[in-house]
Amino acid sequence: MIGYVPGHSPLHRAHPYTTLALAGALLLGAFALTRPIEVWTLVAGAAVFAASGGALRASARPALLLSLPIWALLFVLHGLLGADPRMVVGPLSLSVAGVGRALVLGGRVTAIVLGFLTALATVSPHRLVEAMTAGGVPFGRTFLLASTLTILPRMRERAAQILEAQQCRGLRIGGSVVARLRALGPLALPLVLGALAEVDEQVLALDARGAGGTARRTALDPPADSASQRMLRGSLLLVVVAAYAWKFWRMRG
Amino acid sequence: MTALVMLEGVTFTYPGAVQPALADVSLALSAGEVLVATGESGAGCSTLLLVATGFAPRVVGGRLRGNRRIAAERCGIVFARPWTQLTGLCSSVRDEIAFGPASRGLPGDVVLAAAERAMAELHIAHLAEREPSQLSGGELQRVVVAAALALDPEVLALDDPAAELDPEAADTLYDALPAIAAAGTAIVIATPDLERASRVATRAVVLEGGRIVATGRPAEVLGGTEAARIARAAGCPPPVPLDVPALLRRVQR
Repeated sequence: MIGYVPGHSPLHRAHPYTTLALAGALLLGAFALTRPIEVWTLVAGAAVFAASGGALRASARPALLLSLPIWALLFVLHGLLGADPRMVVGPLSLSVAGVGRALVLGGRVTAIVLGFLTALATVSPHRLVEAMTAGGVPFGRTFLLASTLTILPRMRERAAQILEAQQCRGLRIGGSVVARLRALGPLALPLVLGALAEVDEQVLALDARGAGGTARRTALDPPADSASQRMLRGSLLLVVVAAYAWKFWRMRG
Repeated sequence: MTALVMLEGVTFTYPGAVQPALADVSLALSAGEVLVATGESGAGCSTLLLVATGFAPRVVGGRLRGNRRIAAERCGIVFARPWTQLTGLCSSVRDEIAFGPASRGLPGDVVLAAAERAMAELHIAHLAEREPSQLSGGELQRVVVAAALALDPEVLALDDPAAELDPEAADTLYDALPAIAAAGTAIVIATPDLERASRVATRAVVLEGGRIVATGRPAEVLGGTEAARIARAAGCPPPVPLDVPALLRRVQR
């Protein structure tokens, strides 16, 4: 399940900026950490983040599905084809440094994807819009960010409708990989063309409702923020800066 | 009475098109009027709405020649497909309808009062807490019309507004229009639903190839349809049915 899932978890109740700051810290932290143990500790942190939002089950499966092909690629590129020294695991001869590198890169991808999907599942686009509106952010930027959070579920919903319609007209989606790839054509073309055709009307509709105006929008129900949440966001920023400082200090050493 | 919209010899061509979608159109629209524009598909009715409300060429692009004066400060437009007109950012019908007034930066209580008033006018107050994406096409279309009304438009353009509605909901929508017009809004409707439109219209125009070929009182202008001629020939008492579905209903009775 990709997209917002209504709930009452601490992440759902938190100010949207706090949840996004946590996801952002995971993303930036993933690139600051360079050792497998550090990166996989971060993956565990991402799992705790997902669990605290009640989104572990909803996020873990798509995160694994998205990460697995990258893990496989990294394992081949770095583990099998990496430089010496090597270690033997069963029938495989693996590069020691390559396996470490694959673990770091694969862990980064997993932590980032898990963090992003958790934010997607726990940040209500409506609350985010209200928070940004209350903060005086221009609607164009608000719409851009909120649309990013909603585009995946909307496209997924539309794809399911198109797939059902095409199946009614005889499209077979099961079978071999080649057959599945062949079924992508009748799905992708109407999906993209339909989305493009509707963009014009949506732009007109938003414009008609004053979205492009210069007046500062009224926030009707801005989410509550607190000193402790603001402090947490500030602390996350400091932690990320410290992590990068540590990374560069180690690189120089 | 001062015209809210005045078109004099207006020709409009869409971007990339060679043939104009509207050609040499002259028309005035005043407060309290309900104008119905009809014609075959591609006759230019929808374009007339876009031009009369100022969205063409400002939003859709293209070239406009001739003299156009729009005295109205607030113009609303509603299209046939309601799902393309949602913001996608609101978690309830009330918020969706309040989006327009909130964009104008009105105080929160005024915004909510405008939303409540619009919901009452369209008889959808019971949907206020529902999620827009969970509504039927007919419910959604009424939400979209209410969203346009919440902006208190001086000119309201409705492009085939009953296309997604069941007959009862379509009647409810059309029945609400005279009161809206009486409050000072100029309404222009592009529709093939002549039977319902003629009940509420004060004036009608027929377009053909982007040109106005007939204009006047609805009974005079629309009474020349094939369905009306058949009904008259068959000795049907007035009001004469104007389109085939209405003629069939009359025959069945």
